[in-house]
Amino acid sequence: MIVLENVSFQYTKDRWILKQVDLEIENGSCTFIVGPNGGGKTTLSKLMAGILKPTSGDVYLDQQNTKDLELYQVGTKVGYLFQEPERQIFAATVKDELAFVMDLKEMAQEEIRKRVEAALEQFQLQEVANSFPFQLSRGEKQRLALAAILMNEPSFLILDEPTTGLDRERKKILSQLIEQLKEQGIGMVIISHDEKFIQTHADRVVKVAGGEVKDGG
Amino acid sequence: MSYLDPRTKLVMVLTVSSLAVLITNLYLLILVQIIAVATVTAAGGSILDMLKKLKKFLLIFVVIVFVQSIFTKGGQPLWQVMNFTIISDLGLFRGLQMILRFFIIISSASIMTTSTPREIIQGLVQCKIPYEMAFMVTIAIRFLPILRDEANDILTAIQLRGINLRQIPLLKRLKTYSYLLMPMITSVLLKAQELSIAMELRAFRAYPQRTSLRVLKMQRLDYLVMAVCILVFLIIMVLALKIK
Ligand SMILES: Nc1ncnc2c1ncn2[C@@H]1O[C@H](COP(=O)(O)OP(=O)(O)O)[C@@H](O)[C@H]1O
Ligand SMILES: [Mg+2]
Repeated sequence: MIVLENVSFQYTKDRWILKQVDLEIENGSCTFIVGPNGGGKTTLSKLMAGILKPTSGDVYLDQQNTKDLELYQVGTKVGYLFQEPERQIFAATVKDELAFVMDLKEMAQEEIRKRVEAALEQFQLQEVANSFPFQLSRGEKQRLALAAILMNEPSFLILDEPTTGLDRERKKILSQLIEQLKEQGIGMVIISHDEKFIQTHADRVVKVAGGEVKDGG
Repeated sequence: MSYLDPRTKLVMVLTVSSLAVLITNLYLLILVQIIAVATVTAAGGSILDMLKKLKKFLLIFVVIVFVQSIFTKGGQPLWQVMNFTIISDLGLFRGLQMILRFFIIISSASIMTTSTPREIIQGLVQCKIPYEMAFMVTIAIRFLPILRDEANDILTAIQLRGINLRQIPLLKRLKTYSYLLMPMITSVLLKAQELSIAMELRAFRAYPQRTSLRVLKMQRLDYLVMAVCILVFLIIMVLALKIK
């Protein structure tokens, strides 16, 4: 569960991006965040993931205050997909991208191989398994980033504008993936403008505008 | 002072910062510091901003004082623990010297920020620096904030994968850093590629001679300010040599 209590946030002293926000996100639900560009959606989602810490107020991830959590600890609770997937791809091949963290943690090679194969299949990346990740299409990069995040087995997933720049076919694949993850019981927060996408998946819609957060929208 | 020619400002920065490097006498350094602060204030910069920048160097200053005191021979001890000199007057002196130099260079460089990047390029071009070089300088200035944002996200993202960057076992450090470099270098190369195509499309360097819409012209005030800069530079250098 993600709980925001009386959260306010500013990047610079002269301007509040969010003002006194109270919000609760249940486990296993799918919440959409909508609102105008520059309204603070990305900021709100980064606060939820503990990437940004509130200027005042508190954010709790499974009852733990994000102020007391280091980023590497957050990763096993919440997965975060950036608006630009290029920024979270690190390895020279798709396979290594999925494996390198487990490698660094000295997991058994056999176990790593098994998990990588499973992820390649679930995210439809078998054909590009040995490609250079930065030359993949946008949809493929995004699925690769998602697959890599999910290697950590987080119970929550936050996606920042995942449908931007995807064609209809790619959106369909993403939709299927989201349904699968929902069935696995992973809670989701998705930032999106895509009406159809919202109607298909949303359990709840939250609107962010002018520093305020409102339910329904 | 934003109406001064960028070339004039460049001369101001160059004279003040070379003084900071050339002079060793503490009193003269303080004098140069006062001159630098006065010029920046006249140029529309704020002293408060400068002090904020200086705050970041405070720790370095403290470390320098200790290191200089402990490792340089001579000087009167100011603070001793069991016959072991921790701070000496020489160390303090060297530390002060260093921080003054830092501060003079940083504050004089902020004179340049009162010109727009476009003006600075034009200034460089009219100093007979090839346009390509001057263009590279602006690109660097233009992309710096974007690269900073990217680097932030990349650092965040790798930690969210469960890697504690503060505690990587020594043997794995190199490998981990190579994974960090990958997205940064790729992003820079891809940007360079896109930018070069965009430049080709706009026929960059299609003609050997470039003409400019805005041409900078030195005013009488510019020549006056430059002359004063060089005069002050010479006077202080002569003083410095005399005092030695
Ligand atoms: N790193 C930053 N530093 C300063 N201001 C920022 C930063 N990131 C975003 N902002 C500002 O915060 C506001 C909200 O941005 P953001 O959360 O990205 O909105 P959205 O995702 O809804 O488009 C914007 O006005 C933006 O200019
Ligand atoms: Mg955004």
